[in-house]
Amino acid sequence: MTFVGLAVTFLGFVIAFASLGITDSTGGRMGLVLAGIVVSLIGIMGVLTPAYQKTWIWKK
Amino acid sequence: MTKKIVLVLAMVACLARAATVLAQAPAAQPEPAAAAPAPAAAAVALTDADLKAAVKPTDRANGDPDGSLTGTANDIAIADAKVGLTLSDVLNQIGANRIGVNFAWTLLCGFLIMFMQAGFAVVEAGLCRAKNANHTMMMNFMVYGVGMLAYFLIGFPLQMGGAGAIANLGSTPVLNSEFVIHLFGKDIGLFGNTGYLLMHHGTYDVAIMVVFLFQMVFMDTTTTIVTGTCCERWKYSAFMVSTMFLGAFTYPIFANWAWGGGWLAMLGANFGLGHGYADFAGSGVVHSVGGITALACALILGPRLGKYTRDGKPNAIPGHDIMWVLCGCFILAFGWFGFNPGSTLAMSGNGGLRAASVAVNTMLAGMTGSFGGILYMWIRYGKPDASMSGNAFLAGLVAITAPSGFVNPIASAVIGLIAGVLVCLSCEFVERVLKVDDPVGAISVHGTNGIWGVLATGLFADGKSNYGGSWNGVAGNVTGLFYGDAGQFVAQLMGVATLLGFVFVLSYVINLFVDWFVGQRVSAKSELAGLDLPEMGAVAYPDFVLKPEAAMTS
Repeated sequence: MTFVGLAVTFLGFVIAFASLGITDSTGGRMGLVLAGIVVSLIGIMGVLTPAYQKTWIWKK
Repeated sequence: MTKKIVLVLAMVACLARAATVLAQAPAAQPEPAAAAPAPAAAAVALTDADLKAAVKPTDRANGDPDGSLTGTANDIAIADAKVGLTLSDVLNQIGANRIGVNFAWTLLCGFLIMFMQAGFAVVEAGLCRAKNANHTMMMNFMVYGVGMLAYFLIGFPLQMGGAGAIANLGSTPVLNSEFVIHLFGKDIGLFGNTGYLLMHHGTYDVAIMVVFLFQMVFMDTTTTIVTGTCCERWKYSAFMVSTMFLGAFTYPIFANWAWGGGWLAMLGANFGLGHGYADFAGSGVVHSVGGITALACALILGPRLGKYTRDGKPNAIPGHDIMWVLCGCFILAFGWFGFNPGSTLAMSGNGGLRAASVAVNTMLAGMTGSFGGILYMWIRYGKPDASMSGNAFLAGLVAITAPSGFVNPIASAVIGLIAGVLVCLSCEFVERVLKVDDPVGAISVHGTNGIWGVLATGLFADGKSNYGGSWNGVAGNVTGLFYGDAGQFVAQLMGVATLLGFVFVLSYVINLFVDWFVGQRVSAKSELAGLDLPEMGAVAYPDFVLKPEAAMTS
């Protein structure tokens, strides 16, 4: 799950960065960048963190 | 000597005559009477006065108690003693004075920032247990050297190699090599490529030395943030390797994108998003990069033994010296006066005097931040918690770091107040929801509030600052969403997305490799004993009897 989490987190950056080429409108870019931030947060908090909690030293 | 003075006065008269001609030209048609020859008359008067007022070396035979004889035309450096003082000498002296003032300001601010290392060291050591104090202090001690070495070898060229001319420091034209890719019809700058070892491609240059020193202490601030989050369980060898990568790659790459002419800085010039990503002194570049890297490392390391019960409830592990913690906060606040005002890189020209406003904004945000934190803790828990008060103080300072150059004092106070509350909420969230063990609260202080500072710039920048008429190559002043520029806020959001989606992933992958090859975490036995003896070979307090390790909560 660690690599899935990293991939999702990076995907958020890709979405935000791609907004520069997808649209010229400020509103459109704002929406896409916000979507990218949300996706990255899901990757960190929704995927990586639960995976990390399973690796605690006393759970191994 | 008289010949020299006459020569100078002749030059001054010529200049004054030229100025008079220039002044007369536009004024002649609409209002001939307005083209007064006053400058020429003044120049003549100046000539006579100068002749009379010229200070002779003998005038100081009895000293100069009131300072009126010190710092005169006699002190202007002469290029050729045979020719004597020339107009060129005078003009060169004026330029040298301006750049000298800026050099002195920037260097002194860099020295202040360097002293922040001491603040971080005692804050982090105070917040860890006594059995780990030597280890924590030694991490903070060596982070300075390890980070600097990495930055000297690799980091500085990557960050600043394509930064271009920095006018306030006398220009740095040789920093002109940025690696770019062509995307979306624009050049996307990714990293600099000159200045290796401060010798490559003409970078053995006094202005570049100033840039290096100032940027290096910024980078070192980033690296020392991570040691706080990872203390009490980080293997010393892993810390050194991880810090090396942070100083060599992670920090410089994002710093290049934001400050070195990279693609984030160019969002305004290339894509019409305000003035591009604006981060005056580094809420994002320094603090968020440090906080986010700390989060990545903490996830890899896992929590300290005893921090969480088996069903995931957090235990409080208090630090061993709250006096050092709060004293360290004051040291950091002192250093912050180098961090933020120093980021003007000038006191003379191009908006350098705005440093006064930046300094006041910094004080105000720190003050309201501490108020926010104290009030939150007092209301929620009935007591004004000391360590959280310190963290809230720092949170206010972190949050104002990016906007300090662009916002007014009221906005600064608001930004700091929000930061003070936000750091308390974030600490609780990180500890109880994410279940990430952060002994000093660095993820919240620097990561969360660094992001808040970046966003606050895009909201509160009032368009009144002026640093030479443009920022990131876009004419005009940085203006936030609340003052009418939505594009600036999008640029700031893009910076946040990059921090979360790129910097975090890069930091995580790097530290995962460090974990595989070096091993990040100490053994459970060492951790329970305290890292001072197993890792460092000596305890911090050999004369003290330390409290034995409490039985772990099941």
